Amino acid sequence: MFRSLRTANKAHTTHTPPPQTRGLFPRGPRPVLASAAAVFLFAWTGPSGAQKPAQPGYAGSEICAACHEDLVKAFRKNPHQQAEAHGAWQGKACEACHGPGAKHAESGAATDIQNPAKLAAARSEKICLECHGSQPALRARAHGAHSRSQVSCVACHRIHGAVAELTLKAPGVVNRQCSSCHQAEWADFLRPHTHRLREGAMSCTDCHDPHGSSRPRSMQIVSANEPGCFRCHADKRGPFPFEHPPVRLEGCQACHEPHGSRNPRMLVRAEVRFLCLECHSNIGSKPALGGIPPALHDLQSPRYRNCTICHSKIHGSFVSRGLTR
Amino acid sequence: MRRLLLPIAAFAVLAQQPAEESKPAPAAEQRLSGTVEFGYRVLSGVGGDFQTYRSVVNLGEGPKLFSLDASWDDPKGRLFDKLDLRMNSWGGDPYNTARFEAGRARAWRFTADYRNIQYFNFLPSFADPTIERGVLLNQRALDSYRRATDLELVALPGRRITPYAAYSRNSSRGHGITTFVLDANEFPVPHMLRDHSDNVRGGVRLEWPRWQLHLEGGGITWHIDQQVYTFAERNFGNVLQPVLGQTLFLDRGNQSLDVRGSSRFARGSFRLHPADWAELAGQFQFSQPDSKTRYAQNNSGNFVNFTLLRFYSAELVSAEARARQPHTSASFAAELRPLQRVRIVESWMTDRLHDAGAALLTDRLLAGEQLLDARTASAAERLVLNYNQQEISLMVDVARGFTLRGGHRYVWGDAETPAPLILLPGAQPKPELRRHVALAGGSLVAGRRLRVTADLEASPGDRSYFRTSLHRYQRGKVRARYQILPSLLVSANFHVLNNQNPTAGIGYDFLSRQNSLGLQWTPGGGKWISLLGEYTRYTLRSDLTWRDPATLRSELSKYRDNGHAGTGWLEVGLPGRGSVQPRIHLGGSLVAASGTRPARFYQPFGRLAVPFGRRGQWYGEWRWHALTQPFYLYEGFRNHQFVTGLRLTM
Repeated sequence: MFRSLRTANKAHTTHTPPPQTRGLFPRGPRPVLASAAAVFLFAWTGPSGAQKPAQPGYAGSEICAACHEDLVKAFRKNPHQQAEAHGAWQGKACEACHGPGAKHAESGAATDIQNPAKLAAARSEKICLECHGSQPALRARAHGAHSRSQVSCVACHRIHGAVAELTLKAPGVVNRQCSSCHQAEWADFLRPHTHRLREGAMSCTDCHDPHGSSRPRSMQIVSANEPGCFRCHADKRGPFPFEHPPVRLEGCQACHEPHGSRNPRMLVRAEVRFLCLECHSNIGSKPALGGIPPALHDLQSPRYRNCTICHSKIHGSFVSRGLTR
Repeated sequence: MRRLLLPIAAFAVLAQQPAEESKPAPAAEQRLSGTVEFGYRVLSGVGGDFQTYRSVVNLGEGPKLFSLDASWDDPKGRLFDKLDLRMNSWGGDPYNTARFEAGRARAWRFTADYRNIQYFNFLPSFADPTIERGVLLNQRALDSYRRATDLELVALPGRRITPYAAYSRNSSRGHGITTFVLDANEFPVPHMLRDHSDNVRGGVRLEWPRWQLHLEGGGITWHIDQQVYTFAERNFGNVLQPVLGQTLFLDRGNQSLDVRGSSRFARGSFRLHPADWAELAGQFQFSQPDSKTRYAQNNSGNFVNFTLLRFYSAELVSAEARARQPHTSASFAAELRPLQRVRIVESWMTDRLHDAGAALLTDRLLAGEQLLDARTASAAERLVLNYNQQEISLMVDVARGFTLRGGHRYVWGDAETPAPLILLPGAQPKPELRRHVALAGGSLVAGRRLRVTADLEASPGDRSYFRTSLHRYQRGKVRARYQILPSLLVSANFHVLNNQNPTAGIGYDFLSRQNSLGLQWTPGGGKWISLLGEYTRYTLRSDLTWRDPATLRSELSKYRDNGHAGTGWLEVGLPGRGSVQPRIHLGGSLVAASGTRPARFYQPFGRLAVPFGRRGQWYGEWRWHALTQPFYLYEGFRNHQFVTGLRLTM
């Protein structure tokens, strides 16, 4: 069934690159390199566009510049400019994303050229992934909320904007971009106890991977598969001989509001005793983890109102089963 | 064999594209570009509690480099064609960041990122059992710095084979207050903490049109060094009343924790595009951290041991412990487009963490010079977590710009956790996780003017790990943006989460709502006036039964958080000459929350900016920070800040 559909879908896929050799071995027969490639790449490489016959309809960037002078001028500082100078799209960088432009150059009609920003998310993404598919962040794209909600790459990365708006590396620019949609989350950072995003010391992407992650809430992963929180809170990494199970089973947000809280230490409750006892009250409430503290914990006494006074190693202890040292 | 080795050796060398083959890019008109902003900050003095000010705001006086953003572009450069340097908040501020990037297109790229974040926390209300005696001492206070440095070198970026190597160092140093915990009493004492970790990794990314592969391997080592010590004076701790007829005190005490750990990790991921209608992606990750601990403690004073029911004057403790945590994760996703308007996404992931630890502890108690008791105890614990998730989604493009989505997620897992210290009959169940979740959503995009996305999910609840876990829940999110005019944009967010666990003995009832409205108005491109505003109303209600450990009576824990949060920014252009147009900025943010812990946090500001020349701007800024908490009046502060500075454009 899919064989016929493949043909039908071709109209909706991106164009193939023009006929120039792409990548490491740009031109000319080089048997040595070919054999090296064979050694390194024994897997199937698929029919890349490089081997396909010439596709008609490309105009070249110089033709584009005749009308879109301001865009082409601004594009000289754009990281995508390297496509203009190297590789398969040499001299045709505009058409790498906008498709063959000869017809548009003749007619001047907007309908004769594609604009990725106006395409459906799935089609627009595909154009970007033609070149950026190897980015490690994109491996878990299918798990991500942005992909599910039809938020394409160009919704965040402004291709013709300033370089900072394209690359999205400066924390301030990242946070501005994220908060333009995630207003409610951004409002959490107005609370007194927060991570330092508004001060520009951190960005949303320090904790979340907007391209998608196999972890819930698109959380970042560090050191292969550890939660992204440990990138900064490395002393909480463990492994502890005596673990506090919620840290591993539910994550930090079981007790903390990482976006911000009016409670000290970004806790989800105003008083520590209630935070602890909401889980450690486990009589007749199975199945649930938690147990119950011994009766000597008299909550009328101020000593027992903040459990972490004694259980100071609440994230896990190296030597104490009761998490006290 | 030589025929094989020769091409491999030549591979990296010849991978570089010959210079004469690349078409040089047009020369940029300006090589150096960017902005720099520096000035001087003055504080009015802090009214209220200074420690709370430092815990929440912590900005200081003096000359500051607020930001530097500089780029050097040289498309014809032989060694590099781009240098970028970005710095923020230098000059004694608690958050300093710097980032440097250099590289040559398709040849190499180097990135260095540095952050230094100060963490100060001394809130008098937190962890303070002495507050009723009038002593404001947070017994879990911290004043530390955490520094993170990340270096990465990528070879041949943008080419088919891209090797890279990276090094990260994360370190922390500081001091604080913690408690020396002994039977019947705990003594607040100074605390010194220091840790660092070094992470080295390297890998290669392979990119072909139909498939991409990424392989990475690396290792981490870390070291944690914590010391607890006492001053010369006698410490009576939190219990002043005699225990069994005697007053307990600590004369001298030391604790030393030395942890060394290491981990090797590997990960691989692929993306396969076998046909235009299919895309497959998968990941595999493995790590095995291992920690070794040495602990020593000695203390002298007057203490009681409840197990022996004896008083003792000195204690010597030594312990060794080890833990290992093999951790394997994998995920797979397939995206199929069987029809022009239909997209099916199937994803699966698993995460398996097994932690095994053991400790051997020797404890000797002395009464005067006589050995009272000597014990050696060992303990071993296991924590096993197996988490799995499978999800399928069907997306249908109903009309141009309008997509509907439906799906199902199944989450399941099991865990093995250490038994609670007090094991009541039937209180240690075999914890399991089972959750079926129905998914729905949609998106509507009308040109660039209107965008609406909705996400809904609901689960009937089955089995969950904790009393407060997601159980029987419904979650909804709607986000909308509408560009009414080229100069007017409105946006709105609606979030709701309703979570219930009606199991007998739990009775958890949680409802959270968060609604936001935003407005951006920039008539005439903001030449004379622009206005930005956001308002969020949030409410949270949580009711859950709990047991008082002393009486075992069932009580209801109620938590409420109802608040208003808003930000505003008004920018007005004043009449000027030519391009020199002074501007006034007014705005700020506020949070006013009621409920369990009412709080008001205001941060208004005003700013006057006067440009000079084509590339310069002087500005003066006033900012006010004020925190008020009606239940914790001693934990509020007020502070004026004045900044004068220059912003120069290169």
